[in-house]
Amino acid sequence: MTIEISLQVNGVSHKFAVSPTETLVDLLRRRLGLTGTNKDCGMGICGACTVMLDGLPVSSCILLASQADGAAVTTIEAIERDGRLSPVQEAFLRHGASQCGYCTPGFIITASALLAENPHPSRDEIVEALKGNLCRCTGYKRIVEAVESVARQGGPT
Amino acid sequence: MTTIWKEPDGEKFALGSIEEQAHWQKEYQRILRAVREEADATRPAERIGRDSHTVGMALPRNDALYKVRGKARYAANIPMEGALFCRFARSTEAHARIRGIDISEAKAMPGVRAILTADDIPADQLLIGTLTDDTPVLAKDHVRYSGEPIVAIAAETEEAAEAACLAVEIDYEPLPMILTPEEALAPGAVQLDPDGNVIGDLKLENGDIEAGLRAADVVVEGSFVTEPVDHCFLEPPSGLAFVDPDGVLTVMVCTQYPHYHHKQIARVAGLPMEKVRVVQTVVGGAFGGKMDNTVECAIALLVLKTGRPVRMLYTREEVFTATTKRHAMKIRQKIGATKDGRFTALDVEYLADGGAYRSYSLVVGGRCVIHTGMPYRFPNSRVHYVATFTNYPPSGAMRSFGVVKVAFALESLIDELAGRLGMSPFEIRRINGLVDGDKTSTGQVIHDVGLLKTLEAIEPIYQERRKALAAQPDDGLKRGLGIACLGYGIGYSGIRNPSTARMRVTADGVVTACCGTPDIGTGSDMSLAQIAAQSSGVGLHRVRVVSGDSTKTDDSGPTSASRTTYFSGNAAYICGQDFKRQFEEAVARARGVTAAQVRIEDDRIVIGNERLSFEDACRLISAEIEDICGYGKFDPEIEASILTFKGNPYPTYVYATHLVEVAVDAELGRVDVLRCWAAHDAGTIVNPTGAEGQVDGGVAMGIGQALWEKVERRDGVILNPHYRDYLMAGAKDVPLEIKSIFIQNHDRTGPFGAKGLAEVSLIPIPAAIASALHDAVGIRPKRLPMSTEYLLGLINERARAAAPAAKAAAGDGHD
Ligand code: FES
Ligand code: FES
Repeated sequence: MTIEISLQVNGVSHKFAVSPTETLVDLLRRRLGLTGTNKDCGMGICGACTVMLDGLPVSSCILLASQADGAAVTTIEAIERDGRLSPVQEAFLRHGASQCGYCTPGFIITASALLAENPHPSRDEIVEALKGNLCRCTGYKRIVEAVESVARQGGPT
Repeated sequence: MTTIWKEPDGEKFALGSIEEQAHWQKEYQRILRAVREEADATRPAERIGRDSHTVGMALPRNDALYKVRGKARYAANIPMEGALFCRFARSTEAHARIRGIDISEAKAMPGVRAILTADDIPADQLLIGTLTDDTPVLAKDHVRYSGEPIVAIAAETEEAAEAACLAVEIDYEPLPMILTPEEALAPGAVQLDPDGNVIGDLKLENGDIEAGLRAADVVVEGSFVTEPVDHCFLEPPSGLAFVDPDGVLTVMVCTQYPHYHHKQIARVAGLPMEKVRVVQTVVGGAFGGKMDNTVECAIALLVLKTGRPVRMLYTREEVFTATTKRHAMKIRQKIGATKDGRFTALDVEYLADGGAYRSYSLVVGGRCVIHTGMPYRFPNSRVHYVATFTNYPPSGAMRSFGVVKVAFALESLIDELAGRLGMSPFEIRRINGLVDGDKTSTGQVIHDVGLLKTLEAIEPIYQERRKALAAQPDDGLKRGLGIACLGYGIGYSGIRNPSTARMRVTADGVVTACCGTPDIGTGSDMSLAQIAAQSSGVGLHRVRVVSGDSTKTDDSGPTSASRTTYFSGNAAYICGQDFKRQFEEAVARARGVTAAQVRIEDDRIVIGNERLSFEDACRLISAEIEDICGYGKFDPEIEASILTFKGNPYPTYVYATHLVEVAVDAELGRVDVLRCWAAHDAGTIVNPTGAEGQVDGGVAMGIGQALWEKVERRDGVILNPHYRDYLMAGAKDVPLEIKSIFIQNHDRTGPFGAKGLAEVSLIPIPAAIASALHDAVGIRPKRLPMSTEYLLGLINERARAAAPAAKAAAGDGHD
């Protein structure tokens, strides 16, 4: 059995016939080659697979592709604009907030969604927003500092 | 064998078209320039704007550009037409004979292309290992832990491979299990290995322990217990294998040591080494957990069997149940000291759970033995380490190779001793701390010892926080401070482990430095580029480091034991000097002047009064530019007996003092680590951004290991193979106030005085937290993790012990 869905991914409309068990992360990685979205736990805990679904960060490993029918998905590949890093991406680079980098796309999506919603979050609000993303390398400090530096400049756009 | 595809020259990133690559390189250089201009504001005048002099500058890593764009090529992200997917059918028994394996149903399932069992591998090629070849690629007739791979299946999709694995029927004859080292050592215990149940029995003696204990005015002792821990690198083991157009079996894999896999795969596949290439992909964290074979041999063999590319990615559950762990360890320890605080004796026994196969148990043991007592003078010491097999996943290497537990026990008892003697934790460490010219327990005379400087850096902060805590309004929480120190040897223990580097230059002025040790996420490629640039005098922007490729780099050992900055950094330094000399000589010949009249200086070539750009100089010597090949090998003399450990096991040591501040809710047993100060003598710091990042991450990992992290095991089964039940620190659980202090203690043997750092920032943390808990609520924890229940137990026990005394005191007025 397959289900017909339509999905806007990074601004482009697609139609897919998906199986009822196909997850969004698998669809993005396998069918569209959008491998910037990494996969680790597959249980919605680590946040490595975070994408924006209609502007909100979600774990794409526990979201079925069929549940995303009609939605607009943004992945890490669409965060940069016109050949320039977004302020969040540039802040991660400058602050050393990416070490092994496996968690990085998930954090950048989560942080970008936060800043779109709330351009000047407090440190506590940043930490609260990032609590669903795990990182083993950085100890979070530089990630929070990177997001704070963008918050001081005034948002992600 | 069909020819499939060739990975573009050592590239670890999906770079896009040539125009895109050029564009993004420019973007990176723009950001780098901006960061350097900011940094220049605080640099000594003679260094400002000098493009080759970047050692010591906080610079953003070049690989992060691709990581923040989602373009990093982790193995699972490498596109490959027609790749099959591999999965293991794993043992469901912790200890059993395999009576039979029935693959007939699996074979008939849709999408299945090949099934591999131990019978497909010649018996003399079946066993692999890091130090000893004792681990079967696939279990043959005996399984030693639940999760051990038995059958490897390659299918068209991940789902088909998974389904086929479930259809494999394995007939087991269960055997008695060994679940603890004590059981392993019990008389009559079932023997897990052909050589018995003991993996290693190591001893180090120094002076006269009995005399040392007799000379002591005070003796403190304790038994410590630590649980197994998982590395929790975020990227599960992952690889992709295929045959390249030259007919070379190419395995791209996330690893700390590609050259090791290169040898193993060649042996297991029965191929000459030149027909195998191992390329390290971008590694999504390792921490010692990517040094053993996981996916490598199976996917290589399946490529040979199917003629198709094969990929594999472990699930998180497989990571928890079937990769190596940090050893569970029991430690019994006794310290003697005189009234005035001088240590007289140290007596320690370790009993380690090595799991089902040897892995790095002996390396962990050697390091624990040598580091027992570090970084202090103990005139008399006796250390005994025993590791045994059990029916759990193999225990292997993990950040610090066990020294975190050595420090936990030793520093906790030193804290207790200081209390008994009425001394400050600083004073007792100052009296006994190693200084230049001291001898370690192996008899090594050490130099450039910055331990006391790290204590000095921390002490005023401690005093200030002490005052602040005294003035803290009561909020129902108990606060405390704790310190702990460390000394840590850089590189392999007691055996030579050289690193090499080679540098060449293209006619258009790009300098490539090939270094053997791979970057595993720490940013070592960036540090090596900085060292190579500064040593040779060329600009950092033109240096490209190629690392971790078995055909492009020499075997320079693994990226482990905090050795890359020091060993490969020294190789890059020597290589840079050699490159500079050759380049200058070539320019001199082209100009008909003597070599002494030419020098590379800050990315320009100075010939007498004339200055050439580096590019122009490359054009000038284009006829012989290909002959230039800088070479550097760093191979310090290291020698220690493998029986007594006497000798010089490491070329240099790193030192540190950490301070933590905790808040304890004594009713709930809840601990919050509020702040941490970490002073390190890691020599010169090559890239402070990278170094501080290592410290932050090490501290967070240390807190997790101190308070929460534990692989729960029962009857041969791991009960918590998910992040949901294995508690790794999140952003809300660790302090953002982590202050790194680097004592820039120039090491005379390091590249520009650098030593190394990656592992050490974790080591003192559990001990410092334990001492802070003693400071806060008077308990002396002796278990890791210090779980809430455990701490509550200690707090209540202490309250009960205090209650009758208090009652008695109130009753009769005596104390
Ligand atoms: S992979 Fe989706 S949350 Fe971990
Ligand atoms: S940078 Fe490695 S997990 Fe976050």
